[in-house]
Amino acid sequence: MNTRKYLTLTRAGMIEALQFKGAIFSIIIGNLVYLIMIYFLWKAIFASVDTTTVNGMTFEDTMIYLVLASALFYFMEMYLVWEMGRDIQSGKIILDIIKPMKYPIFKFFQLSGNFIMFFFITFLPTFIVVYIVTYGAIHLDYNILFFLVSVLLGLLINYFIDFFIGTICLYTESIWGINIMKEVIVLLLSGATIPIVFFPEPLKTVVYYLPFQAIYNSPLRLLIDYSMPFSERIEILGIQLFWLIIMILVSGSFWKISLKRITINGG
Amino acid sequence: MEKIISLKNVSKEFKVLNRREGLRGSFMDLFSRDYKIINAVNNISMEIEQGEIVGYLGPNGAGKSTTIKMMTGVLEPTSGDIIIDGRIPYKDRNKYAQNIGVVFGQRTQLWWALPAIESFKILKDMYQVKDKDYKDMMDLFSSTVDLDKLLHKPVRQMSLGQRTLSDILAAFLHNPKIVFLDEPTIGLDVAMKSKIRELIKTLNKEKNTTIILTTHDMGDVDALCRRIVIIDKGTILYDNDIEKIKSIFGNYRTLKVRLGKTSEELNEEAIKKEVEDMELKLKEVYPKAQTLHVSDVDEWINILVNEDEVEMIDVLNFIQRQRKIYDVRLEEISTESVIRKIYEGGLE
Repeated sequence: MNTRKYLTLTRAGMIEALQFKGAIFSIIIGNLVYLIMIYFLWKAIFASVDTTTVNGMTFEDTMIYLVLASALFYFMEMYLVWEMGRDIQSGKIILDIIKPMKYPIFKFFQLSGNFIMFFFITFLPTFIVVYIVTYGAIHLDYNILFFLVSVLLGLLINYFIDFFIGTICLYTESIWGINIMKEVIVLLLSGATIPIVFFPEPLKTVVYYLPFQAIYNSPLRLLIDYSMPFSERIEILGIQLFWLIIMILVSGSFWKISLKRITINGG
Repeated sequence: MEKIISLKNVSKEFKVLNRREGLRGSFMDLFSRDYKIINAVNNISMEIEQGEIVGYLGPNGAGKSTTIKMMTGVLEPTSGDIIIDGRIPYKDRNKYAQNIGVVFGQRTQLWWALPAIESFKILKDMYQVKDKDYKDMMDLFSSTVDLDKLLHKPVRQMSLGQRTLSDILAAFLHNPKIVFLDEPTIGLDVAMKSKIRELIKTLNKEKNTTIILTTHDMGDVDALCRRIVIIDKGTILYDNDIEKIKSIFGNYRTLKVRLGKTSEELNEEAIKKEVEDMELKLKEVYPKAQTLHVSDVDEWINILVNEDEVEMIDVLNFIQRQRKIYDVRLEEISTESVIRKIYEGGLE
């Protein structure tokens, strides 16, 4: 297989991401404001109880989790649904469909440059700051390796969920409502806004059986929970892999079927 | 000559929901299963040879885009066979894509934020163009257009003309056998239009690329195509040499008159009014001349006359009695008029 065919798209995405300085700064500032907000919110929550731990997590644990979740979110958020919706409405998607590679693969590599740039621009600096500030709370060990593999799997699961939602645009030709719904569901059920251990019991079990927690919760647990036994780590990766395969099959075949039935606007 | 494109009895149907009016109607549409079938393309056949430039014409909504989308492999025909360069376009899209290039006048396949040269490099890698072929192609490009000006400018800062030019080059970059150009000169100024026509002509000649061109601009057709295919309401009305069709309308002449000297006298509004006026009057005086048509082109008034119905000289006399004529020309029927006649059902 010729990898250059694909990596050229990654390279272009990286150059493209660097063209928009404004976007980079606004993401960093937006992230900062969000972090200040959750700091005070969770401080108030912990102040209202007598114990120092809630659901087995201290204030410090919770903050580390949420800060890193937010940093992960900024680098995993791909706006794929918006892009697909816009390209379908304008008809530009035709030009991408007739490229000499499969559309889902083309789109992934087109976005991949962004992932890499934002990993270095948002996640890595945040991680270093958290590591220094809470010195000793995060163990740097072979868990980093598990974490990186897990992030990649989470990213791919997130991509194929987005791709599924984007494909719906072929039928609805409108995207706003569906995308808002998806964002809320993913952010809540993935544990990106509230750690999943805080969920009430029946919901917690349900969430563990859904693919969303494999996006943010899995990599973060692998990174933070250093006392986790080896077998459990493998299990987490296994569950992620399982969901990734399911999502590839579901999104891939949904796309294939849809492409046969659709009409594309204009031109 | 080798046939590179062949369409046999191709049809495409769309299922469209019958929409009802008003709020109540829209609400009921949510549950409606009342679909109607639209025949966008109805049993069309054609064959195109390697190296031809074919003008694919038709009014808006005639089924042009649907045909192009089927030929590029985006849409699957409901029935019939499309074989292009030995392949069925919608099957095995990835391999088929190597052989085609596409330009849609209003959209770009270039990377918006990057200079055009980056897009070219990306396309080179994506289509796995060999270094030598790439260099040869770039040399050919730079011999036809001023490449240096284009290559290092970000696409978002380009004018529409520069962007279209770059998009056409991008479509030819991997040396495809067939290029589809969908209204490539739409919205461009006269100088840019002729530049783009020149470029298309050169690339066609140098690379023997088959070109399917859809356009509403008859200037494009006159400059580029020998053969035209006209489609309306999903069926092909005409498919032959452009010269042949003109001879069908052999008794038609275009009489061109100029009714003023200065630009003030010839302002657009005055001419528009004059045109309407003249058509009414002429039809009143010569009731037999039903196909007579008056229009305006750059300060000239064009009167399309069928000499079976009324003598050219009579029309000229009539106008002269009403107005002072500064200049007169007589021309064969123009492509534009021929196409309009066919759209209006003049071939039946």
